[in-house]
Amino acid sequence: MEHGSLTDESSSTFSLIDEDHTLANSVRFVLNQDPRVSFCGYSIPHPSDNNVNIRVQTTGDSAKDVLKDALNDLAGRCKHVQVTFDKSVTGFKATQSTNEMKVDE
Amino acid sequence: MDPQQPEPVVYLCGDCGAECPLKSGDVIQCRDCGYRILYKKRTRRIVQYEAR
Amino acid sequence: MSKGSFTSALNMPDVPMGKLPDHLEVQRTRVVCKADAPIHTEGIQFSGAYAAVGVDNSNPLDKFKRDFKIDVIRLTKDEMEFDMIGIDAAIANAFRRILISEVPTMTIDKVFMVDNTSPIVDEVLAHRLGLIPLDADPRLFEYMSEHDVPNERNTIVYRLNVSCEKGSPRLTVKSDQLEWLPDGSKLHEVAPSYPGEQQKTYTSFSGSQLEVSRRALGVKHKDITIARLGPGQTIELEAHAVKGIGKVHAKWSPVATAWYRMLPEVILLKEIKGEEAKKLVKKCPVKVFDIEDLGNGEERAVVKSPRACTLCRECLRGESEEQIELRRVRDHFIFTIESASALPPEVLFKEAVEVLHEKCDRVISELS
Repeated sequence: MEHGSLTDESSSTFSLIDEDHTLANSVRFVLNQDPRVSFCGYSIPHPSDNNVNIRVQTTGDSAKDVLKDALNDLAGRCKHVQVTFDKSVTGFKATQSTNEMKVDE
Repeated sequence: MDPQQPEPVVYLCGDCGAECPLKSGDVIQCRDCGYRILYKKRTRRIVQYEAR
Repeated sequence: MSKGSFTSALNMPDVPMGKLPDHLEVQRTRVVCKADAPIHTEGIQFSGAYAAVGVDNSNPLDKFKRDFKIDVIRLTKDEMEFDMIGIDAAIANAFRRILISEVPTMTIDKVFMVDNTSPIVDEVLAHRLGLIPLDADPRLFEYMSEHDVPNERNTIVYRLNVSCEKGSPRLTVKSDQLEWLPDGSKLHEVAPSYPGEQQKTYTSFSGSQLEVSRRALGVKHKDITIARLGPGQTIELEAHAVKGIGKVHAKWSPVATAWYRMLPEVILLKEIKGEEAKKLVKKCPVKVFDIEDLGNGEERAVVKSPRACTLCRECLRGESEEQIELRRVRDHFIFTIESASALPPEVLFKEAVEVLHEKCDRVISELS
């Protein structure tokens, strides 16, 4: 799934099968947050093919490790969104049921 | 199946919709209304479709 | 010149360090809607974009965790609206895209037509059946791949057997007439050669599906018209539902739709008073503006409910164009989910986040 220079670890293109803008754009955002990244971008070579190429160039670190860190970061954000969402929904449901009780009284 | 006794095929009358079983050699005519155009029933053989 | 007296060209006392000048801050955090078209629509994601002015544009995980907020506005059985604050459009859009096309549902995919003498042709009838939302939790089931045998863990079987008697009025077939078969298909792949012969059916259930589902599996809406039968017409069929995602076919999409809009922000650049204020209040079709009484017989326009603004830009027409600015807050999303499946919207959203998480994990494991 990975193409890149064999001698230079700091820049690689990763070709992901069965992925699209959903993951690629999110990962691009996270990669852009990483100070080790000097360039990142993605492209979908053809809209009928279900693969996406993600290009990562770093200031020296291995592009693979940087991408892996970015994916871990994104996974962490998902986890946090889930926790926050859960809290808000339970909070909202609680206030709603107390409001209903007040109406009943 | 006995070849001497051919199974009657049920047709539908084109006018009144009544069922009309016919054997070979029978007059092609509805027994209720006398209409002479009869239709074959749809097969009950299972046809599979994709719901797309 | 000694090092101590060296002054950077950027180190100017009138440019505060660590803070962007106002016009750049607006560009960074807002989309501005001008009368003809919006400007600064593309956000600036690069963390070092403002490094030269000493401003950090990054949003690392710990900062995200500190600032991210969700406020539920409305939550019913089928619909929810919530504000998602402090997240980039890339990720918010990923959730939206996943909700529409990658959260699984159970939907009729194969129809075995025994008899259909209704005016609706077989193909169209099969398609209509596919679009009926089923009341089955997809989390209890597995995907069926190409070579899998249909069993109680991947297939739900429904039967429709209706006929309109001769001489009776026209009959409307509704979705609640689909009958769930917990023991699997009752149709034989080959007609039995003698009555009562045990033959292979289209499914191979090892037990009742009730063991998997724990409750009867019906349809979500009982009043969907499937077909109308005239006297003497019949429909007899079996419909097999499987797990799938909206990417393959929209019938598997769990939502009617899921969308977001960025929070509108309406700014009065100048004070608008008297007649002009009244005109402005009248102009807005969604009543964003209101009149404030200043006491001494003077009145001025104020922004009362910017959230209602649809950015129709009616208020920007005419002479008031220079007085008002319409903006959208770049990291504040008003997210709406309309569920059209068995799961309530809040569960669907959690599933969508989970899907993105799984995507990350999949690529991580492939990289290592």
